[in-house]
Amino acid sequence: MPEDLAEVYRSTYRSLVRFLYRKVWDAERAEDLAQEAFARALVHKPENARGWLFVVAANMARDDARKAARERRHLTLLKSEPDAVHSEPEDRIDADTQRERVRTALDLLTPRDREALLLWDAGMSYDEISTQTGLARGAIGTTLARARRRLVEAYDAGSEGQHVARG
Amino acid sequence: MQEVRGNMSHVDDGTLHAYLDGELMPVERARLEGHVAECAACRNRLDEERALVERASGLLGLAQPPERAAPPPPLHQLRRPSVVWRLRVPVAWAATVLLALGIGYSVGDRRDMRPAPEPVSMRSADSSAALPLDRLGYISTPAPRLARAPRAQSPAQTGPLAAAERKETEREPHMVVDGAPFAAPRESVSYGAAAANGVITIRTRDTGAANAAPAPAADSVHATARAALPQRALEALQEGSVRTSNASVQRDDARRALVATQWPIIRRGPARQILGAEPMGVPGLAIRNIRRSPTGEVVLVEQAIDSVTVIQLFQERAENDQFARAYSWSDSARQQAGGVQVRGGTSGTERLARFIGGVRVEIAGPLSADSLNRLLEQVKPIGP
Repeated sequence: MPEDLAEVYRSTYRSLVRFLYRKVWDAERAEDLAQEAFARALVHKPENARGWLFVVAANMARDDARKAARERRHLTLLKSEPDAVHSEPEDRIDADTQRERVRTALDLLTPRDREALLLWDAGMSYDEISTQTGLARGAIGTTLARARRRLVEAYDAGSEGQHVARG
Repeated sequence: MQEVRGNMSHVDDGTLHAYLDGELMPVERARLEGHVAECAACRNRLDEERALVERASGLLGLAQPPERAAPPPPLHQLRRPSVVWRLRVPVAWAATVLLALGIGYSVGDRRDMRPAPEPVSMRSADSSAALPLDRLGYISTPAPRLARAPRAQSPAQTGPLAAAERKETEREPHMVVDGAPFAAPRESVSYGAAAANGVITIRTRDTGAANAAPAPAADSVHATARAALPQRALEALQEGSVRTSNASVQRDDARRALVATQWPIIRRGPARQILGAEPMGVPGLAIRNIRRSPTGEVVLVEQAIDSVTVIQLFQERAENDQFARAYSWSDSARQQAGGVQVRGGTSGTERLARFIGGVRVEIAGPLSADSLNRLLEQVKPIGP
């Protein structure tokens, strides 16, 4: 069991961090949560460690988001606005801006579409996503198709809006 | 097969995405590939969807956490889950217990203005008292517990001749089922009614006719009494639960008075009015609270010997003596007035009372009779 978990840790840790990052939008916090999820798995010894980890991680991220929503919003406003323009290198600005746009676009998805998309991107199979989300396996493809389309549309719409605003 | 593929309607988005994701079952995959091979429209759509999948994946790739220079810590070095998560069940239990004890402690010892639970100490132990007592029993003992039955106390037993016999009776544990209906005389009461550690004694007046007076809800009274006790007293109670000697009987009895810590707190002024004199106290000891009995006849001064040991000085007008019998620990030794009395109590214990001016002062506390006696000798009106 511990060896299984060690293997899962090797193969899944980064995915889990990425998955969490797109929920909490804080790299350090995402790592913390991922490590906490694995630490819990060490104690809990779940049978299907991978699936269990993502469930636990999703719950932790949700709790975390609820708890920290207010202050984080505040901090984001304080942090990102002046600095991004003046002191950051050009490519960094682009990266930050793009990340923000993706984040905004993701926020525009329905929770279910977003969850399926993030789980897929974290490396989960349709079966696993189905188990995780309660969606029928046959509906996963449709859900992902819709999620991808909306993500791209929302991102492009956001970019255009920004260009218009800047221009 | 060929016809099936040929007749197949156009492929929906979901199937295309599942195909592109490599998640179609072999049969479905074969069917789709066959259809796309023949259907230019679906072939175009497949290309579009493939571009969409790649685009979406690319966008998500923009939302990556920055790569960390340091690799993640080895699995076995991960810090344990947060204490709260790991311990939530034990902590929940512990919290429940602590909360219960804490409530009891604060109700008993802090200066809250919780109205006195009249029935506990002052009202007669008739069956109607059972309900309020039950309600007060919010500190439930951890395990179902058998309360020892109150002693039967017949008029015959109050005589001096019966003393030895009474003592024997005292030590004999009578088990009663908590809350069982008992016929109890209305008069029976004392502020010591709630006893330490399951020893419930309901005293009756000398006039008491029907005397066997097991306490209804004895366990609740007991629980309340415990709740009111500071930790040290609680420990002492546990020690004293097996009554092997007369000394421990005394300790038990002395602690009974602690139940009165739920009486309402008053200021010195009203206390003075009740007594017609300054309330009494042991000089040099901090006064924790001044309380009054629910009937407004008795003043209780609580003084702290240390952070967990509290002595109680029950005070009443000497002319209330008749009335005070109802509350008193003992009725047999009331003949003497004034001076320090060492009175044989009905339960074979010694109670200490003294008349100072027009005030009768009775002392109780988790201390030996000797200590209580010495303290009682020092009692004086509390200075201005």
